[in-house]
Amino acid sequence: MRRLIATHEAGLAALLAALLVAAWRTDPAFVSWRVQSGLLPQIGETALLAVPMTLIVITGGIDLSVGSVMALASVLFGLGFRSGWPVEACAAAALAAGLLCGALNGWFVTRFRVHPLIVTLGTMSAFRGLAEGVSAARPVSGFPDTFLRIGQGWTAVGLFAALTLAGTAVLARHVLGRRIYGIGLGESAARASGWNVDRLKASLYAFSGLMAGVAGVLFTARRNTAKADVGAGIELEVVTAVVLGGTSIFGGRGTLVGTALGLAVLHEVRQFVGWRWSNDVLNLVVVGALLIGAVTLNGVISRRPAGSVEGG
Amino acid sequence: MRLRGVPGPALVLALLCALATAINPAFLSPRNLTDLMLAAAPTLIAACGLMLVVASGEIDISIGSLLGLCAAVAGTLSSPDRLGLPPSLAVAATLALGLGVGLLNGVLVSLVRVPSIIVTLGMLSVLKGANELLMGGKWITRLPDGLRAWGTGSVLGVPVPIAACAAVVALTWLLANRTAWGRRVFAVGSNADSARLAGIPVGRTKLAAFGLAGLLVALATLVSVPRLSLVDSGVGVGFELLVVTCVVVGGVSIRGGTGTILGVVLGVLLLSSVRTVLIFLQLGESSLYWERAIQGALILAAVMGDAAGRRREARA
Amino acid sequence: MAELLRTEGLGRSFGGVRALDGVNLDIAEGEVHALCGENGAGKSTLIRILCGALRPSAGRVLWLGAPLPEGVHRCEAAGIAAIHQEPVSFPDLDAVDNVFLGWEPRRGPLLDRRAMVRRTREALRELGEDLPLARPVGELPMAQRQMVALARALVRECRLLILDEPTAALSARETDALFAVVRRMRERGVSVLYVSHRLDEVFALADRITVLRDGRKVDTLPARETDRDGLIRRMVGREVPEAPSTETAAAGGPVLRVEGLSLPGAFEGVSLEVRSGEVVGLAGLVGAGRTELLEAIYGLRRFREGKATVGGRALRPGSVPSSLAAGVALVPEDRHRQGLIPSWPVSWNVSMASLGAVSRLGWISPGAERARAEAMARLLQIKCAGVRAPASSLSGGNQQKVVLAKGLFLGPRLLLLDEPTRGVDVGAKHEVHQLVRRLAAEGAAVLAASSDMPELLALCDRIVALRGGRISGELRRSEFSEPALLSLILPEEGAA
Repeated sequence: MRRLIATHEAGLAALLAALLVAAWRTDPAFVSWRVQSGLLPQIGETALLAVPMTLIVITGGIDLSVGSVMALASVLFGLGFRSGWPVEACAAAALAAGLLCGALNGWFVTRFRVHPLIVTLGTMSAFRGLAEGVSAARPVSGFPDTFLRIGQGWTAVGLFAALTLAGTAVLARHVLGRRIYGIGLGESAARASGWNVDRLKASLYAFSGLMAGVAGVLFTARRNTAKADVGAGIELEVVTAVVLGGTSIFGGRGTLVGTALGLAVLHEVRQFVGWRWSNDVLNLVVVGALLIGAVTLNGVISRRPAGSVEGG
Repeated sequence: MRLRGVPGPALVLALLCALATAINPAFLSPRNLTDLMLAAAPTLIAACGLMLVVASGEIDISIGSLLGLCAAVAGTLSSPDRLGLPPSLAVAATLALGLGVGLLNGVLVSLVRVPSIIVTLGMLSVLKGANELLMGGKWITRLPDGLRAWGTGSVLGVPVPIAACAAVVALTWLLANRTAWGRRVFAVGSNADSARLAGIPVGRTKLAAFGLAGLLVALATLVSVPRLSLVDSGVGVGFELLVVTCVVVGGVSIRGGTGTILGVVLGVLLLSSVRTVLIFLQLGESSLYWERAIQGALILAAVMGDAAGRRREARA
Repeated sequence: MAELLRTEGLGRSFGGVRALDGVNLDIAEGEVHALCGENGAGKSTLIRILCGALRPSAGRVLWLGAPLPEGVHRCEAAGIAAIHQEPVSFPDLDAVDNVFLGWEPRRGPLLDRRAMVRRTREALRELGEDLPLARPVGELPMAQRQMVALARALVRECRLLILDEPTAALSARETDALFAVVRRMRERGVSVLYVSHRLDEVFALADRITVLRDGRKVDTLPARETDRDGLIRRMVGREVPEAPSTETAAAGGPVLRVEGLSLPGAFEGVSLEVRSGEVVGLAGLVGAGRTELLEAIYGLRRFREGKATVGGRALRPGSVPSSLAAGVALVPEDRHRQGLIPSWPVSWNVSMASLGAVSRLGWISPGAERARAEAMARLLQIKCAGVRAPASSLSGGNQQKVVLAKGLFLGPRLLLLDEPTRGVDVGAKHEVHQLVRRLAAEGAAVLAASSDMPELLALCDRIVALRGGRISGELRRSEFSEPALLSLILPEEGAA
């Protein structure tokens, strides 16, 4: 099992290196520190969301509502700002809203024992709709420069790095990490061992919501606009990075290092294609093909039983 | 007849219609109902295909991107501004594309055994990218009359989309309930092990369901896109979520094995009528922004109703 | 009578354990042939081979003189239908679909639905059953589900019907109806292979009886040439093992006290006591409520009425943490689903229920975890390539010891064992028994459920028998005998 993860991560690292070398041969400027560091913030929100998503997918779940929670947080931030609240209060409200949304997901998943795919599909519409409703689809902008600065820099990427380090330690050594893997591999065995499976799952969804709130605020700062279409489609991007990183959609398998590599591959492909051909298009094909290819290869290697959406 | 997924949506739909009619009797006017049906037709056509995929225990979330790509292909092939090929050729190519993509999904799911949510998630990206490559950031406004007729023409006084939709619903009902393959789709979703023991080819059964779903998405494209004033790469965005929502609200269990056409029809009508009802309630323009929140709440209500139903069954 | 089916030297092993060994059996046309034996005698294995679900590892099966085809659906098409064990059933679909799936009659491209409904209705009428044809069979009561499976066999014109414990979930009236069906089938020339623990049913129906023991055939004899006692003697067939008298420690104070515990549908009004140093057995047939009772004490199920205390602490219904805190450990029946995470290393599995003991502030110390797992492995003599080897690489017996180690890690006051040696070979079985005795000698209270009677007789100080969810009696060590235990757990004479 461990060797499989190692090969997957090594493969991804090799792929990333090959990508960078190829990019360097065609256009050395792209691989320069200046360009790379300038482009890095663009993956920030996706990366932030990928941390809780990895943990949730390891338990056998999924959270499709993250983009909508981002939008709701952004919209609430904007509304607060327009009503004259200080930026700190706006941010606090946005984060609280994110946490609440995540907690609601967790409650639905554990209370009704419905597949998280369906629950979060529902809340994905509901939260986005809420964002559209309360904002009436009108954007808010004109935030102070002090606030905008946190979006331009490396806040999100730095936070992601810290979370990845901490999360990797937790997954490898902490009781919580052990339980996260255990739930994904055998929920019955986990319950029979006296673990509070429901509480842990609900906490992960709440964490995911909180991070979506953070991502919503950072996105607002980066683009200087708060509106209801923030984060549309980002959930698919996040899931793609997580699965590309070797996390099994059936649960029980995956690492944050793998996710970081998955994010890096996703990011570099997209940015290089955008840089070279100055359009944002081809990368969708490449990313989708990468995802299918990686999972097909993984499936051929590990020969999992025929898949259904019932992950656990 | 299993009633799961029918009484709930039917009741809510009836209430919504009654409310809208009470405020404005024009809600029940033939014109408004026709508009409603026209809006619902493509969703319902795609939902029929998705119902069979979900009943077989799988899912397809690439249908929105597939609709977009089909629109781009049909437009590019037939528009006088682009290739200007005969409309019939464009129609055939669109249907072939839908079928091909559906079968490809099915092969990856049933033969390579990649989970369907991952396959179709990847396919969603690939098709969206292909669509944008094909459109190249431009849009198509002129479509030949031969293609326009699919969306705006009528057969025996019935608009083509509605006629096509009715035919698809009838055929899907027949397929699901009166053919061996249809019953096997449900059997595979209900208990794959038993199905294998009974000698049912599980993989091939699912493959066909995916193929049919793709074909029906292509048909949904043909009856909806010619009604648009312009085709761009944004066509079909979010369509997969709408269709999945309709199917779930219509009582098709995501675990597979269950689902009725009647439920799906009600689910589609319910979700499609939310907007119209909001307009007729005359709450002001801002009320329309709540459409999606209401759709989301409907899924959650369906989920809770389903859970309550399961608990009752378990107790009985 | 002509011969329908015959097996020659049939054998089957599972990972070194011989479940079936050199069995020769013949079934004649139109006879009801009963198959008897204790749990683990090889009945299920034999049945699964005969209906095509399992391939034999030795010998062969002849069907009408030719080799039996492979696969359940081919055997079904050839005329063999099995009810209960691996039934072809689709809970979401209606009775008509369940009868015809896989061999649907067609008219052109469409199903001949009218013929399907008519033939299903005819078959059900013949079975004397009137059930709603349009409801998903998963919503029907067990007796009616069985009738649907029987209807499928009837419509397919099966020639050999295998009934595996068909009355386990039926009421007396439903059982009578089933008997009538079996007799009518026999009159039509259908052969029936009837497997049941209920010996009075066997004598009521069977023409001939085959007895299996430890995977081998003991005897095939006409039913009228023997009686209940003779049959039990053949099924048991060995001396009752001697009591390990030296190890029977004097029991101390009560640890587990259960009063009037009820869980509707599983067990009712159960009261019992297990004292420190005592091993109490829990006997009963499948469905008697053994597993449910253990799981309720452990907190995996929420009991509705009654009280359970461990060492004076009341257990909260449905709370595993409360039971763990009181010092309860469970070794569950389903090793692969509930007991272990097979892909995990042995050490991780061992510490699963007691991560607190190998961690500080939640951070696991791998050294401490490994050391403790190694100590447990030595103590239980777990044979593995180190505690870092995945649990799935161990033999069944050693896997079971890992599950035991997991339960013992915290030094429980009350150990609940559910089928502690299922699928475990004889040597490992003995080791597990010794270990349990030693634990009891050290002061633990043990409550062990098992369907293996010799095991209970060898292991326990006292046996409590369950029948249909209620306690049907209790045996002290001086009263131990297999016939005595059998008569407590088998349904009462005439009740069927």
